[in-house]
Formats: sequence, C-alpha cells, structure tokens
Amino acid sequence: MKNSSHTSPPKLFSHLYIERSVLDHPQTQMIRAKFGESQVIVIDHYKEVFNRPSQSFAAQSRSKKLILARKEGKFLHEGSQYSDGFDHKQFFYASSVMGCLYDCDYCYLQGLYPSANTVLFVNLEEAFVQLLPYLGEDTLVATSYDTDTLAIESLTHQTREWLAFAEDHKHLHLEIRTKSANIKSLKSIAPNPRVTLAWTLSPQEIIDVYEHATPSFEKRLSAVEEAIALGWKVRLCVDPVIYTEHFDSLYPKLIDQIFETIDPNAIEHLTLGSFRMSQNHLRALKKLRRSDVAFYPYAVRDEMVTYPERIENTILETLLSKALVYLPQERIRTWQRQL
Amino acid sequence: MIYIIAALDAEARALVDYYQLKRDSALPYTLYTNERIILLVSGMGKSNALMAVSALLGWKIPKNTDILINIGICGAPAAYEIGEALLIHQIQDETRRYYPDILYTHSLRESPLTCVDEAQSALHDAPVDMESSAIFQAASRFFKLHQMAFVKIVSDHFAPETVSKEGVVELIRSNLDALDEVCSALEHVQSPDTLYTEDEYKEVERLKSYFTKAQGSALDDALNYFRLKHPTMPLPAYPDIPDSKRERKRALEELIAHLTA
Ligand code: SF4
Repeated sequence: MKNSSHTSPPKLFSHLYIERSVLDHPQTQMIRAKFGESQVIVIDHYKEVFNRPSQSFAAQSRSKKLILARKEGKFLHEGSQYSDGFDHKQFFYASSVMGCLYDCDYCYLQGLYPSANTVLFVNLEEAFVQLLPYLGEDTLVATSYDTDTLAIESLTHQTREWLAFAEDHKHLHLEIRTKSANIKSLKSIAPNPRVTLAWTLSPQEIIDVYEHATPSFEKRLSAVEEAIALGWKVRLCVDPVIYTEHFDSLYPKLIDQIFETIDPNAIEHLTLGSFRMSQNHLRALKKLRRSDVAFYPYAVRDEMVTYPERIENTILETLLSKALVYLPQERIRTWQRQL
Repeated sequence: MIYIIAALDAEARALVDYYQLKRDSALPYTLYTNERIILLVSGMGKSNALMAVSALLGWKIPKNTDILINIGICGAPAAYEIGEALLIHQIQDETRRYYPDILYTHSLRESPLTCVDEAQSALHDAPVDMESSAIFQAASRFFKLHQMAFVKIVSDHFAPETVSKEGVVELIRSNLDALDEVCSALEHVQSPDTLYTEDEYKEVERLKSYFTKAQGSALDDALNYFRLKHPTMPLPAYPDIPDSKRERKRALEELIAHLTA
C-alpha cells in the first residue's frame, strides 16, 4: 500500500455540525463566514453528535469540531462547592458552551462529557432573559465556568455580549475566568468595576506538560498586564496547583515572576488552590489514561479527591508564604478542604 | 489490521488484485486476506451487511489501532460526478443518523449519505447506498468512531440499471488512490491506548495476584502514574512479596510511594 503524507491534523473546527433550528441565527452565519472552508453538516439536535457512543476523547482532542446549537432550558446553574462564590448573595454559572478549546490534563470536562468537541449555544439572548428575575439583588455570574469563553471569543463574541448586558444591570457581577491571551474584545469596551477577569497562571513547565493548546505563561502575563492598564479588575489564580517533583522551586518562582511584572496593588486577589476533583470525574479521567494527574494516590473525602493532607498543607504553606511577600493576607484566597 | 467491507463481488475484485489478497475460508462469507488486510464481501442490503460484519468482527476482534473502511458504489444526484470518490460524514437511515469521526485531512469530497432498502431510481437530495448504516451499527460496537471511514464512489445518477459489473470493477479500480489515501490517513490518527508491552502486562498481573482487589487497583494506578509520567523509563523491578499479610501491605505501600514519588 502506498503511503500518503497526511500527517497534519485538520484545521481547527474543520467540521461545523449545525442544528437545523439555528441555521439562520446571526451568530451561526458569522461563524460560517469565518470558517468558510469547513464542512457544514446539518443535524437535528446537538446530542446526536456530542453524545454519540464510541467517541474517543483523546483522539478528538487533536482535531476538535464545533457544534452550533440552541440551548433548551436553563442557561444558569447554581455555583458548586468546588468554586468560590466570593460572598455574593447569588452565584450562578452560565453554560453557553460545552467543551473547551484548550486541553488541560487535569480538566474535569474529560470526565463530564463524552466528546472533546465544543458545543456553542448561539441563543445567548435567552440566558439574559433567564437572568433578569434575579437581578434585583447582588448576583455573580461566572461566564466561563465549564469552558474558557475568552479562548473562542473571536468566534463567538459572547463575552462582548455579557459585558454589554452587565453595563445595564447594576447588581450583576461577572467573573470571566481564562487562560487566554486574547483580550481584543475588552479593548473596545469601557472597564466595568463589577466585572472581574480571573487569569489562571501556571509555571511554563506545567503548561508544557499539562495544559495543552493553551497560551504560554509569558503571553498570559502580558494579557494580564494589558487588561490592568486598560482599567479592568483582575484576579490571579494559581489554581489548580499540580504537585510535581519540582514543586518547591516551580511555584515560588512563578509567584516571583508574576509580581516582577504585575504591581501587586493592581490586582484584586490572588487565589491559591491545589488540584481537587469529584471522585466520579476522576474515575472517568482514569478510564481515558491520558495523564499521570489522574493516577496520583489522592486522598478521598466526601466524594472529593485532593492531595493527601500533608501535601495539600505543604502546597498551601509554600505558596502562601511566598504570596505574603507581595500581598496582605486579606487579598489572598485559598481553597482548602473543609475539615 | 485494515478491515475492508464491500457489498458486491464486483466491488471486491479490484481490491483483491491490488492488495494481492487470498481467499480465506474461515467464515461462511466471502473473505480475502493478507497479513495487513481483511476484505469481507457482505452481500447486498442492510441485513446481509449487519450479519456479515458482526460475524467478522466477532471472529476477529479488532484492536484499538485497527481501522475499518466500507468501500462501495452509490447512486447520487447530478451534482456529483460519476466516478467521484466521496468520504461520508453523515449516514441517514430514516430518522436515525450516524457520524463517523473524520480527524484527518484528505483530498476527497465529503458528503452525507442516505442508506436505503432498495436500489433507487427516484431522486434523492444526497447520495444513497444500501449497507452503510448497518455496517456502522455493527462496527461501532467494536471500533471507535474515528477508526471507521465510509468511501463511496458515484456509479450513477439514480439510474441503477446503467451500472454493469465491469463498470463497478473499473470504478473501484480507478479510485484505489483515494482508498489508499483514506487508509493511511486513518491509520495515522490511531494510537494505542495500552500503556504496557505484553510482557510488562503479564508481570503486572502476576504482581497483582498477590494482593486483594482494592490493593491491586491502587497498584494499577501507581503503575499508570509512573508510566505516564516517565514514558521512556522501564517499570521498576518488583520487590519480593512477603508472605505475611501485614508485611505485604507494607511492601505495597512502599512500592506505591516509590512509583508516585
Ligand atoms: S482551560 Fe479550563 S475548561 Fe478549558 S480545558 Fe483547561 S481546565 Fe478545562
């Protein structure tokens, strides 16, 4: 048999699966125009592609496809115990995207979803309608909770839409968590003090091994710097910390590197947290056998896996003592299991 | 191993010549093989395809690096040229739809395909064949969706009476390059999901036999951790396993600590 040289993976989103009901949605049309060369496959419901049996998450991660769909039902979900609601009266996360462009080995999405493809719900306008009844009081919405919305912002413009919506609703606070370095969408909008941009930063050595397809540390840091200069509120997250043999040097060095560039007074908080996950998600991660992160001998408590207490304490103490060089305690938030 | 499924003898003929396949009588179906390829002639229609593919895959269970290709002719609307090879990205069978994953680049035209019960003279919006949905159903119990491809060659514009046996042989023969291209692209995206060589696997199983199920699964995790973390390093030598239950437990703890250090 002759060997042809098809070694390069297809372009990102080489296939667009589009629900018939959103074929005419303006966002669908915008995306189709952007991906003019992609194959368009018309489907009835996103689940017939996203939920197929016999998919390989690992193989699909190397060639992600995009599914455009209409969300039926709830866009908003109550915040979970693994996250920090920052003491707002109400905390929701919005799920307008399923799946993520990035591919972090420690990501629970691998255990949550049967597919590595991305579903984009284009009818975001309905999320705003659903949110309206809550906006009489202080409400935090995490818009990038099960995904990294900024990573695909140039495609979706959803962050732009959230920011425009937040401008008109004075009790609405947004948190946009990201590893992206693309902050173009923020440049044309006046900074809103009720919006927090939360960047996850990791040592480059950890990015190289565990955070596939994400921007480098340097690029993320430049984006942070730029967002601050534009006047946006920024929170930095060194979370999840992955415990490796060089942990002692990698993470303290990371904190030094951050604050060599970023003025500590210019950020709201620094969040520190070690890797944690629900036991069910970890089980699913193990089945994929993609990364050592899934197989560490974690401790299990109340259906949650964490590093054993001794290591978890070492992680937090090491990071905290370093962070305290730059920030007062009250501006450092730590995630630690409730004993 | 490459599993090729064709419905007709005429579709198989060019493949037998090209890949130098030999008749194999292991199953009560027409089967041709060489050391890399198994070609099955399933017979026409969905039920023949379902039974033949199930029998083949039950007999020779594929590995996770194997691939399956269904090659055959199809009727198509006039917008498709006769003789054109299509790579199918959606198979419609009445209300059900099936989607092979295309995770590679290729030069074929992609198309949806409708799977019907009889040769069609009536016009359809998409190309039609008579086996693909059944092959997909049977094969997807054994293969992941990115291990399968459906290559269809346009034989007529909904005028099946114009298609001769010789014509079919020629249609396949003139698209062998396209088939080769899909085979090699498909093979390229497969990766084994086993972490151990066969010898290592045997050794791991032997070691686990000394422990309880829960201990064995903790050991499995630690070994997987070690292998994924240090992919080029050999697994460490195993200690002698003590007889006493308590000592065994301690030896296991030490081994796990060593593997995950
Ligand atoms: S960026 Fe976040 S959501 Fe995306 S893969 Fe990484 S951990 Fe998961």
